[in-house]
Amino acid sequence: MRIYSASSEEALRARKLLKDWASEGLVTEAQHNRMEQDTVCDLRTTNIFLRLVLFLFTLIIVCATVGLFYVGILSRPSEQTTGVFLLIFAGISYAVAEAAVSQAKLYRYGIEEALAVCSVGFLCGGMLMAFSNGSILAAKQQTIEPWVLTGGAISSLWIWRRFGLWYAFFAAMVFVVFLPEYWTSSHSARHLMVAGFYAAGVAVIAAIRSQHRFDYLDDDYSIAEALLWLGMYLAINLQLSSLSLLPRWLGGHGGGAGEFARSFYWTTWVLTWCIPPIGLVRGIRQKDRFVIAAGGIIAVLTLVTNKPYLGWERHTWDPMLLGVLLTGVALFVRRWLAGGKDGIRYGFTAVRLSSKDKRWMSVGSTALGLLSPSVLPSPQTSSNDVRFGGGDSGGAGASGDF
Amino acid sequence: MTIFARLEQWKEQGTISPEQYAQLSGLSRREPFSLFLEINILLYAGVLAFVAGLGWTVSTWSEQLGDVLVLVLLSAILVACFWYCFSRALPWSPAETRSPSPIFDYVLYLGSLVWTVELTYLEKRFQVLSGQWDLYLLATAVLFFFLAYRFDNRFVLSLALSSLAGWFGLKISHWPSHQDETYREYALAYGLLVGGGGAILQRRGIKPHFLNTYLHIVANVVFWALLSGVFERQGYVLWFLALLIACGASLAWGLKRRQFAFVAYAAVYGYIGVSSILIRGINDEIAVFGYFVVTGIAMLVALVLIARRFGRQA
Repeated sequence: MRIYSASSEEALRARKLLKDWASEGLVTEAQHNRMEQDTVCDLRTTNIFLRLVLFLFTLIIVCATVGLFYVGILSRPSEQTTGVFLLIFAGISYAVAEAAVSQAKLYRYGIEEALAVCSVGFLCGGMLMAFSNGSILAAKQQTIEPWVLTGGAISSLWIWRRFGLWYAFFAAMVFVVFLPEYWTSSHSARHLMVAGFYAAGVAVIAAIRSQHRFDYLDDDYSIAEALLWLGMYLAINLQLSSLSLLPRWLGGHGGGAGEFARSFYWTTWVLTWCIPPIGLVRGIRQKDRFVIAAGGIIAVLTLVTNKPYLGWERHTWDPMLLGVLLTGVALFVRRWLAGGKDGIRYGFTAVRLSSKDKRWMSVGSTALGLLSPSVLPSPQTSSNDVRFGGGDSGGAGASGDF
Repeated sequence: MTIFARLEQWKEQGTISPEQYAQLSGLSRREPFSLFLEINILLYAGVLAFVAGLGWTVSTWSEQLGDVLVLVLLSAILVACFWYCFSRALPWSPAETRSPSPIFDYVLYLGSLVWTVELTYLEKRFQVLSGQWDLYLLATAVLFFFLAYRFDNRFVLSLALSSLAGWFGLKISHWPSHQDETYREYALAYGLLVGGGGAILQRRGIKPHFLNTYLHIVANVVFWALLSGVFERQGYVLWFLALLIACGASLAWGLKRRQFAFVAYAAVYGYIGVSSILIRGINDEIAVFGYFVVTGIAMLVALVLIARRFGRQA
């Protein structure tokens, strides 16, 4: 199913690990050079910046080519003709993506990724237009759209499996979110269905990935599982996923059970407290960075949405308490781990082991420093009321001018 | 062949020692597993949440709490943070220095953010400088630059650079006419000042590892400013020429230093600028789509050549 051979991907993974170990001084330069010769593979890779730009320009070329075809060759095509040709373009895009990998040996190179993404987009657009009829558009689309969403989800999943692109898995999850809308009018049932899909996904991936714990597929499954945990939580947490509750919550007023049955509402509240520890424990047991991160994020979201859930008043000092809690947890974990033999407890350490972590810290501290919310008020404020906040204008009170 | 099989093979060939084999195969099995990144993210999020709550509380309850209590509270946090940093800091060195403790950077970051809260409170309540916000921002930028260089802290360096940008922005907001043009010129002045300053400090060997932070910010500010000039209906030729020169410089720097973010900046900003000039006034859809197909392919070929020649390494 995978377009790349296992040996090539294992070789690439080994090269990355070797590079990391060499930069950490775990192997000498001479050792690194000798071992690198054993990890040669025929796949062509590039760095993240060129990958992004290649993705962008491939997207421009494909979309412009399709646009040129429609305005240059077809004059005023019907909706169905447009749809049929979009389906043909989907097939061509996918075939070129396959060829780019099999012939040019591109691996996460941007070009084959953009082509694969375009194929999913054209497929969905093509299905929607080819099978709808202008005269009975609204009624017809009601029956077509679930198939379009299903097609989008399946093709995205295929792209994920075939090319190993994590964002294709995310796209499949997004398609799934809209499916229950066509099956039931009950809001509760929709939330349950989406959460059920994602829970089933977690179960399937957990079963599959046990055979790939330390091989090249582990990262793919790890990201997919983390996304599923996040998705499942968001579907369950009505304060975040309910369109009618979210604005009220953002406005500072807690949302009540309202549109949902009381039993359903309170069951979801209980689940918002149950899912984070389960996710966190699974991530910690598997030593899975992405699942631990997902567990941590949903744990914080539970704390943040708890008061709106209960309909309690939020206080201005709540974020301070959250900050103290997060800092306290970080310090406790660090001290506890440092107290173990050689700074290790139960296979965990607070010490940096990878040069990748250092790079992330370096990039992250610069970016996060810039993105810190502005705590100086805007210069236009003339009243004596002190108004802090902002966040859209750079750190430390920078105005939005630059 | 999995990494374990390779390690086994390298051990048998004598490429790595048995001790290295044990260590590397352990790391491949995530034994031990490092929580370094997670702990740092928690600390950052904790500081940010705390300061956000502090600002919110002060702004909401200042009248009930009273100025004295608010200022004493903020000053106490500020003094505690800076006392911690100055008392525990290692002697200053122009080279990159490690933090004396894992929480050191976050205490400094907390102190810097609390400083801005307190300064804002003082000015809003007592108008010490009669609403001269630009002076506050300039003073804040100077303080943050000092702290960033004294304690080798990128968080605070970013705060300093954005405060300085804010000062430039506020300075010209006092002049109501020719805003766009003036903003552009000030953005370029900011870019030259920050880029030049960063380069001089790097040449003198003072925290040379900060240079990248300067250059990324400068590149984006300057490209945005130049692009806004290119988008003008009249008098855009000079801006366009300046954009081409900036793209060339960014490309050359990126290729020379193997920093491909700058190649990406040159490609994207340059393409947007050139395209906006070339397709300006063209209403024929075929010509527009044809332009994007032809130029897109040209860019793709050029980038693939660059990627094959230089870009294999991240």
